[in-house]
Amino acid sequence: MASVLRHSAKFTSGISSSLAACARNGTACAFPCHAFRHRNSSTSSKIRVDLDSSTGVAVMTLQGPPVNSMCMDFLTDFAISMEKLELDKNCRGLILTSAVPKVFSAGLDIMEMYGKGPEHATVFWRAVQEMWFKLYSSNMVTIAAVNGSSPAGGCLLALSSDYRIMADNPRYVIGLNEAQVGIVAPFWLKDNMVQTLGHRQTEKSLQLAQLYSAPDALKIGLVDKLVPEEKVLSTATETMAKWFSIPDHSRQITKSMMRKQTIDKFLSNRETDINNFANFVTKDSIQKSLGTYLAKLKKKKA
Amino acid sequence: MTFQGPPVNSMSLDFLTEFAISMEKLELDKSCRGVILTSGLPKIFSAGLDITEMYGKGPEHAAVFWRAVQEMWLKLYGSNMVTIAAINGSSPAGGCLMALSCDYRIMADNPRYSIGLNETLLGIVAPFWFMDTMNNTIGNRETEKALQLGLLYSTSDALKAGLVDELVPEEKVLTTATEAMAKWLSIPDHSRQITKSMMRKQTIDKLSSNRETDVNYFVKFITKDSIQKSLGMYLAMLKKRKA
Repeated sequence: MASVLRHSAKFTSGISSSLAACARNGTACAFPCHAFRHRNSSTSSKIRVDLDSSTGVAVMTLQGPPVNSMCMDFLTDFAISMEKLELDKNCRGLILTSAVPKVFSAGLDIMEMYGKGPEHATVFWRAVQEMWFKLYSSNMVTIAAVNGSSPAGGCLLALSSDYRIMADNPRYVIGLNEAQVGIVAPFWLKDNMVQTLGHRQTEKSLQLAQLYSAPDALKIGLVDKLVPEEKVLSTATETMAKWFSIPDHSRQITKSMMRKQTIDKFLSNRETDINNFANFVTKDSIQKSLGTYLAKLKKKKA
Repeated sequence: MTFQGPPVNSMSLDFLTEFAISMEKLELDKSCRGVILTSGLPKIFSAGLDITEMYGKGPEHAAVFWRAVQEMWLKLYGSNMVTIAAINGSSPAGGCLMALSCDYRIMADNPRYSIGLNETLLGIVAPFWFMDTMNNTIGNRETEKALQLGLLYSTSDALKAGLVDELVPEEKVLTTATEAMAKWLSIPDHSRQITKSMMRKQTIDKLSSNRETDVNYFVKFITKDSIQKSLGMYLAMLKKRKA
């Protein structure tokens, strides 16, 4: 795994989740002290949520080694957690971070898209949409504390947040590199990136499947702040306090007005998007692409 | 056009009415090709909308007032003239809106001045056309952050973000505006005007085709007990500060 990360230039989405056997890695499940229990499946929990009711801040820690890849279990846990937090009056803000060293999240689990057929593709994609939608449209203040590399789906989590803080480590990369793997970033994610980086930068970034080092990510505005790695979480907490000083209702209405157009476009096209994805990903040529990519990853690991 | 309404050039109904009339006269005057907006008061360009026009006045007045605010923006943002904001003082909220609606912004390089749309700090929300105007100027991401935080930018940050185009010593703001104007006036009027209106059309149409809906939304929002309470608290805080 470490050897793959070192070749960050070729770091691509869904890395190694297949290799990690995301469903059965035997990681100890860490139940938060005063938080709710999320779905207790037969697998270890990939997400840990700690809500501090006194400050109103929830910290969602991704804990799915080796690379926090987004398999169905992860996406389901994520949706349930988000829903609970959104409904919890004590929760005003959410910090996303990783417990896995060097990786924030490697993105979507390619194994969920490979050799699985159209029905599964449909279920999976709906869950991916839901993850983005819940985060993007959240009323909470959302801060991504990006303490590791964050390609593809990991970048999605960061982009949909209100604010992005990244560890100042030039070996960490972040970006939407779907095109490298032979797939395509969905329109709603593209819209999210356009809103963050602007049109020209996004057009270039997506076509070239660019993964930006943390310093470059700051330069182009993909992240808002770089701090030493050990300070990422504390900086997120300080930033959260600043955002909390704004009256909730006016901040929320402002946020939802600014995000309305993108959300409406998503909602009125989400079924079409799912059909498109299912048709696309089950194509022989795409399956072949994914297979080649997975083989390449296996080789790198060996 | 020099704002001279002490203490803070707040945009009352009177101000907005005068503004609209002046803009209309200038727009129709064939010998007027450009307008520079500046302040005749020290330290302040404009403090923005007069809160007392929105507080404790009831829905009819709120509607009249809001229509006048819309009119101000439509006339300024949609003007055929070259419009330059010579920002020689702080410029929150409505003041920032006027600056943003101009073609070009020159600000005094004074660290005590700030500029931005800080509505959320008061517990209110910038209307969509304020958002659009800011978005067209500094981009979406910066706007989303700035508006949620009600950010008042320092002059250097304002320059960095592109909220203003130029920073000059305070005594040079007006002369720099005049020089900039000469440059803009060297472009053939008709091609510059058509270009400007093409670029601004979508944003303008979004309001002009929905003015009454926007007025109704504002009236409903501003007359809410919770919002009135917010405004009351803000006014009380201002009084305290003054004393």
